[in-house]
Amino acid sequence: MMYTSDIVIGLEIHVQLKTNTKLFCACPTEATEPNTAICPTCLGHPGSKPVLNAKALEYGTKLALSLGCKISPTVIFSRKTYFYPDLVKNYQITQYEVPLGNNGQIILEDKKVVRIERVHIEEDPGALIHEAGGCLVDYNRSGIPLCEIVTAPDLTSPAEAREFMKKLLNVLGYLGIFDQNTCIIKADANISIKEKKYTRVEVKNITGFKEIERALNYEVQRQKQQEVKRETRGWDADKGITYSMRTKEEEEDYGYIVETDLPIFEISQEWIRKVQQTIPELAEQRAVRWTKEWKIDEDDARIIATDLDVAVLFEEISRKVDPVFTARWVRREVLRLLNDKKKELRETEFRKEELTELFKLLTEKKITDRIGQRIIEQLADKKFSPAAYVKEQKLEMVAGEDILRKACEKAIAENPKAVEDYKKGEEKAIMFIIGQVMKVTKGTASPTVVKELLKGLLK
Amino acid sequence: MEITPEVVKRVAANARLKLKEEEVKKFAQEMKDILANFAKLSEVNTDGVEPSFHPIPVKNVVREDKPGKCLDREEALSLTPHRKDKYFRGPKVL
Amino acid sequence: MIKKFVADAKAGKIDLVEHAQKALEEAEKINEEYHYLTAYADVIERAKELQEQVKNGTAKGRLFGVLISVKDSICVKNVETTASSAILKGYKPLYNATVIKKCLDEGAIILGKTVIDEFGFGGFSTNVGIGYQKPLNPLDKKRATGGSSGGAAGLTRKATFPHIAFGESTGGSIVNPASFCGVVGLCPTYGRVSRYGLIDYGNSLDKIGTMGQTVDDAALLLEIISGKDEKDSTSADVPVPSLDTPGAVSGIRIGIVKEAFGEGIDNNVRKKVLDAVYQLEKKGARKIEISLPISMNYGVPTYFTLAPAEASTNLAKYCGMRYGANEPLTGTYNEYFSRVRNNNFGEEAKRRLLLGTFARLAGYRDAFYNKAAKVRTKIIHEYKHAFEQVDVLITPTVAITAPTFEEIKKLTPLQNFMIDLLTVSPNLAGLPHITIPCGEANGMPVGMMIIGPHFAEQKIIQVAKAYDVHQ
Repeated sequence: MMYTSDIVIGLEIHVQLKTNTKLFCACPTEATEPNTAICPTCLGHPGSKPVLNAKALEYGTKLALSLGCKISPTVIFSRKTYFYPDLVKNYQITQYEVPLGNNGQIILEDKKVVRIERVHIEEDPGALIHEAGGCLVDYNRSGIPLCEIVTAPDLTSPAEAREFMKKLLNVLGYLGIFDQNTCIIKADANISIKEKKYTRVEVKNITGFKEIERALNYEVQRQKQQEVKRETRGWDADKGITYSMRTKEEEEDYGYIVETDLPIFEISQEWIRKVQQTIPELAEQRAVRWTKEWKIDEDDARIIATDLDVAVLFEEISRKVDPVFTARWVRREVLRLLNDKKKELRETEFRKEELTELFKLLTEKKITDRIGQRIIEQLADKKFSPAAYVKEQKLEMVAGEDILRKACEKAIAENPKAVEDYKKGEEKAIMFIIGQVMKVTKGTASPTVVKELLKGLLK
Repeated sequence: MEITPEVVKRVAANARLKLKEEEVKKFAQEMKDILANFAKLSEVNTDGVEPSFHPIPVKNVVREDKPGKCLDREEALSLTPHRKDKYFRGPKVL
Repeated sequence: MIKKFVADAKAGKIDLVEHAQKALEEAEKINEEYHYLTAYADVIERAKELQEQVKNGTAKGRLFGVLISVKDSICVKNVETTASSAILKGYKPLYNATVIKKCLDEGAIILGKTVIDEFGFGGFSTNVGIGYQKPLNPLDKKRATGGSSGGAAGLTRKATFPHIAFGESTGGSIVNPASFCGVVGLCPTYGRVSRYGLIDYGNSLDKIGTMGQTVDDAALLLEIISGKDEKDSTSADVPVPSLDTPGAVSGIRIGIVKEAFGEGIDNNVRKKVLDAVYQLEKKGARKIEISLPISMNYGVPTYFTLAPAEASTNLAKYCGMRYGANEPLTGTYNEYFSRVRNNNFGEEAKRRLLLGTFARLAGYRDAFYNKAAKVRTKIIHEYKHAFEQVDVLITPTVAITAPTFEEIKKLTPLQNFMIDLLTVSPNLAGLPHITIPCGEANGMPVGMMIIGPHFAEQKIIQVAKAYDVHQ
């Protein structure tokens, strides 16, 4: 294949599917005490056999369909043999010959298409802890269902890789097959740069979508500065570096064969239709609906829908507050703050209860926009009732015209220079006087009302 | 196809068998004989023939996503001396 | 024999504890001389439990009080189960195989574990693992029992107490030793019996079956263990008919597999089996000659490509970490695993690991593993076609009678594989088959193998029972 971009990246992403039990046995997927969710099958005891979890197959199919994949009419599993202390059978049950889904895509913000080559399901190994002279293993993770998503080498920057991961996470969240709090998302990345004739390096063990950009940025810089050879490297998140794991020559031959302890799974069109029906509305569809039903600005809708958590927040507030108003505030304030703080919604203190209360204060004209902005900034970091806060700090919008008129008269009297300029025709001068009024009223006055009042007084 | 001691060593490494030199030599000779005989499989015309992975069709057997009973940790750990507290112990990986 | 014993035991006519004690002593005595058993279950404890049931009037089950021996590749809870391999030394499973659970539910007493070729890798039971003694033929101690279920066949022949044995066949491991020891060996259709708890050799080939001194005994145990099991995805959801069926051969079309009576078959063996077929003809069966050129010519390379390929992945799990053999954890994981494995696998296990790993590595996989899987399809079809013309197929079980250990020593590995010539193909096709003794040749027993279509266990049992051993 001929590449032209400066950087070429392909991703292999593993996401944990949110099932109750493991992929091939009835052990629960959630356990905190080490080695308590274990049985003969997920410990690889002699004579134990795998039985496929129907839910995992359904979830995998759901994801593949949502990514626009074609579903294979027959699904078979294979044994990928390699030896490692966390792998109980020293082979992993995965899919090799024919993946569950192939030929899908994810479209990025700038309309760029990232092709998805395959989507398949497989089992996770256990969890290793290194210790002096050996390792300790917890097999609670052994047999946890994973979905692997493999992209074509279509990504051209670490930022794009991050965006791709983010988009994928959104789809996963929308489908309800992945729990961001308990499930793990991991990526292996193939990366090469033009400067080094696209010599391919694989970087393994990148956890989470924020790390992907960091790891790839590091690796791009490393490749620019060092000699590049075909190899597999690991990502050390603590040190923020990649390190060599093995060269191409040391690669294991997995000697794939069919897993004959499992039957062949025939996927009927009827079953696919059934799964399709359980797929909820995805981001794009949701945005279109908001525009249609709630008359939300197209741009606002698209941007809010991209982030599932924000989209859900928006929908919930919109049930109680005017959606058009909510959309404007979510995009201009909530998303702006997330961006400034480089945080995800779940990493802030924003909650629908407080935001709804705040937006109500705003739409009912109880506070000014300026006060609203001040409060929302604080809501990002701590939980409190906006209504109570407004009351306590006496931030209600000044409604009594008497008080305002007095404040305006005072401002006019105290700022003769500005008054003079305004009268000479310098429109802008009035803004200064408005500012003075706002200062005196601690922002509780509506600037529009103040302006009208001043204009009247200065006639 | 030549089955040399080098091929046997490569296969043995993949199978995690630390063979002795004399074992390598012996198995190389034997595998040569065996595989020369097995090469006659190529005489069978299998054009358009699908492979069989089971002798009879086995299809669509799945399990409901319902949690079942787990093993007692102490029992599972009791099968090996290589354990430490709540964990299995293994050889070093770094 | 078993039926009457069970009825008597339930009725309290037999002191089960005393009976078990005597049987155990006999088994131990046989074992000292012939090396059939690798471990004993708590026989007396179980007998006491059953005796208590008799006293309470709760005695039940079709195997009540019957001693059952278990091939060492089948897991019995808390009884050392090693597949006769040093790599599983000391391993006591934490659970029972489904077949064990089923026969315990029927009131059986598990006697112990019978020795096999390590992991089932052999046709003579001479490939027992490091530290195990090879079993001796019950009729001539200079000769092999056959394999891989050698201990099961020898014990079945020798035991004078009511006893049925569990065997397991991947490429002929039930009928081959049964034939060499002169007992009945019964291997069901692939999937008829749950493999849950069976230590895997070749997952697409392995079948748990039975051995007895009579067809009835073997059939009784098979009927009990048959049926769908949710713990084994490949177990068949096919109704299990009664296998307690009289002999019937009138009007039956018997296919005589031409290639199985030709070159390479011992003359005396051939004659005995043809005599037996003639006896069945006299009882109304019709003989039709059938040719199975692909199965008979390519069965061995197909089997010895696919079975070791699967085996080499199944044996990957044995690495000295979580159970079985272990050593001090020195060196890297690769060094540790390679050392433990090389120290504990026997020669034949290593040979098959190499062969099986080779067959599935990139560069060789297409020519071996994938090619063999396609030839397997042709073998399955060849049998399917044959069963459109006949009801059962008959061949000698093994081309020869039990050889001496001296003779076996001289065989090359490839010649060793050829011992399975007649049994590998029915096994590749997953067909039910039974061997019954049909006289002697060279002073040793000869076995006649009756092969049926998928799930036709009842049919092969009917034909087997129509043959009169005493004629």
